[in-house]
Amino acid sequence: MTVYGKESFLNTIAAKLGRERVYDVQRPDLRPLIPNSYGSLTNDDLIEILKEQCYFIHTQLIESNSEILQTTLNDLIHANGGGAVITSGDDRFLHYGLSFPNSFVWEEAAGREENLLRSEAANTAIVFADYALAESGTIVIESRPDQGRSLHFLPTNYIAIIEKERLVLRSTQAAADLNRRVEAGEPVGSAINFISGPSNSADIEMQLVVGVHGPLRATYVLI
Amino acid sequence: MSLQTDKRDFSERTSEGLGDNFMRSAVSSAQDSLKTRRLSAATDLGDWEQWRSIGQQIRQHTLKNLDYYLEQLADNVEKKGGYVYFAKTKEEASSYIRDIVMQKKAKKIVKSKSMVTEEIEMNRVLMDAGCELIETDLGEYILQIDDWDPPSHIVAPALHKDRSQIQRVFTEKLGYTGDESPENLARHARTVLRQKFLEADVGITGCNFAIANMGAINLVTNEGNGDLTASIPKTHIAVMGMERIVPTLEEMEILDNLLCRSAVGQKLTSYITVMGPSATGETDGPEEFHLVVVDNGRSEILGSEFNEALQCIRCGACLNVCPVYRHIGGHAYGSIYPGPIGAVITPLLGGYGDYKELPFASSLCAACTDVCPVKIPLHEQLILHRQRIVEEKRTSSSERIQMKTAGRLLSSQTLFGKALRFANPASRLLSRHGRIIKGPGLVRGWINARDLSQPVKQQDSFRTWLDRRKGGANQ
Repeated sequence: MTVYGKESFLNTIAAKLGRERVYDVQRPDLRPLIPNSYGSLTNDDLIEILKEQCYFIHTQLIESNSEILQTTLNDLIHANGGGAVITSGDDRFLHYGLSFPNSFVWEEAAGREENLLRSEAANTAIVFADYALAESGTIVIESRPDQGRSLHFLPTNYIAIIEKERLVLRSTQAAADLNRRVEAGEPVGSAINFISGPSNSADIEMQLVVGVHGPLRATYVLI
Repeated sequence: MSLQTDKRDFSERTSEGLGDNFMRSAVSSAQDSLKTRRLSAATDLGDWEQWRSIGQQIRQHTLKNLDYYLEQLADNVEKKGGYVYFAKTKEEASSYIRDIVMQKKAKKIVKSKSMVTEEIEMNRVLMDAGCELIETDLGEYILQIDDWDPPSHIVAPALHKDRSQIQRVFTEKLGYTGDESPENLARHARTVLRQKFLEADVGITGCNFAIANMGAINLVTNEGNGDLTASIPKTHIAVMGMERIVPTLEEMEILDNLLCRSAVGQKLTSYITVMGPSATGETDGPEEFHLVVVDNGRSEILGSEFNEALQCIRCGACLNVCPVYRHIGGHAYGSIYPGPIGAVITPLLGGYGDYKELPFASSLCAACTDVCPVKIPLHEQLILHRQRIVEEKRTSSSERIQMKTAGRLLSSQTLFGKALRFANPASRLLSRHGRIIKGPGLVRGWINARDLSQPVKQQDSFRTWLDRRKGGANQ
């Protein structure tokens, strides 16, 4: 048994709602109700929105391109003070011909302990975003065997590479696309992260501290 | 901690709040900054009222079909290999969690901020069972090491403490030797807690929203502690109030936008994560995932005249605009849920016996109702509570006598006329310089904080003046 106490719990709810249990419910279509305050935007408009937002979320945004990507990343690793690097096992590292000295890849074969140790020891994590959301300065990324959850949280510095064509206006588009995949029964990672900049807290006298439990610094590289 | 954080009288608690100048200035500056940030984030989104309506519709639709969505959720968690426990009472919920922890022979537990785990007194149960339990949200951690000082705000739990108090606690309890800068204090907590994350056997989180069609939960945080809690330990236990659920990611996305903007004025917080049991081939995340769905009095609210209170998404916006919260602070409510929403739901979850004063801790200005992102008619619900409390004769007998006398006086023209005539001579002994300075219960309550003018003499009253004017006009 993996579900306990369901029937009587749900029967109570139905009784309190003054009806029998329901087994078929259509969720209302909210899309026509959602205001569109931006109108139509080009990719360049989205980049401008992203740039502005990155400033507010204490995230460095660097415009690069596939030719100089390796150099851009090398410079960033250097600026972070060098040290070990951990990347996801994303195919795009190969596609763009990227490689780093003193680096590890998050991989299934390494197992839990080893992947966690590598991430904890890494000074910089580098990943590719699945989507990027201009309005909130967010990257969306899923867990996979070659891309663990802790990869985004344990290393001290975090770099996400964003391909321009992955840029959408806001969370609405990413959520709709992800939900379409869920409804179609396509596999989706056990964790979906919407990450908007470095970790932070305002728990002491409401004063913002950037860098608490997760990365102290976040950088987006736009290509 | 339980729902109740302070057993003293309401008046004792409020006097303490009113006398705490540091707390009052901390609360008012926090309110001012959060209010401004919320307003600008709401304005940025464009057509905020339309977004609020959508938020309200989502919450109402889900509550109306709560059994359906909870069943869908449970089925999907099960399909992914997770466990779901439906707990009717807080005792059921916390003993299930204790049993899991015992079964795992777990000694070390990390936890991210969750109000419902406070409500079910889970920390006490687990610590009594001999576990080391660490709150990892910075604010909650500060409260924990300060001998479990209660939270005073649902989003910023340590709002009532200043940096030097925090530095002192860190020095005493953690051997901290640095200065009082928030940055250094936070870095120290990071170092201490990082080790705790890596050693933990079990991670426990709350749940902002469960997503029915995915069998997953959604956490909304800024620090990243929630994610570490659900990534590193091999067992993840998520605890949710039964009403905190959405049909799909699409509704979650809308509510998260409303939540982040309303709570802290951010477009989205740093970390918004959808998570469930680990999938095949993934090497971190929980090997075992338990979802505990808690009723603990919520089903009594469902379908009642207080149904809309269950729409709450715990953003705390109503606290940030409340003039009463501003002055008395969070602790005065004596509940883990303070402010306007706390004054509505605490008596529902904990009964009028301990909490009958809370619905009266409001000026009924309706600022809370105005900002609520899911349109809970908060001040109307407070009035409803007041009606119930009076109907159940839970007010003091002297107040009932005074109210009855006033009622009789106000409903009879003859008596009212006489009262007006005698009000001035009758109040002469109670007044000085045109102000009433003493009187029975209700009057005393009023003049403690405000002026009450002595009634004017009959010949100076507005009525007499108006009658004279009428006479003049007719001539």
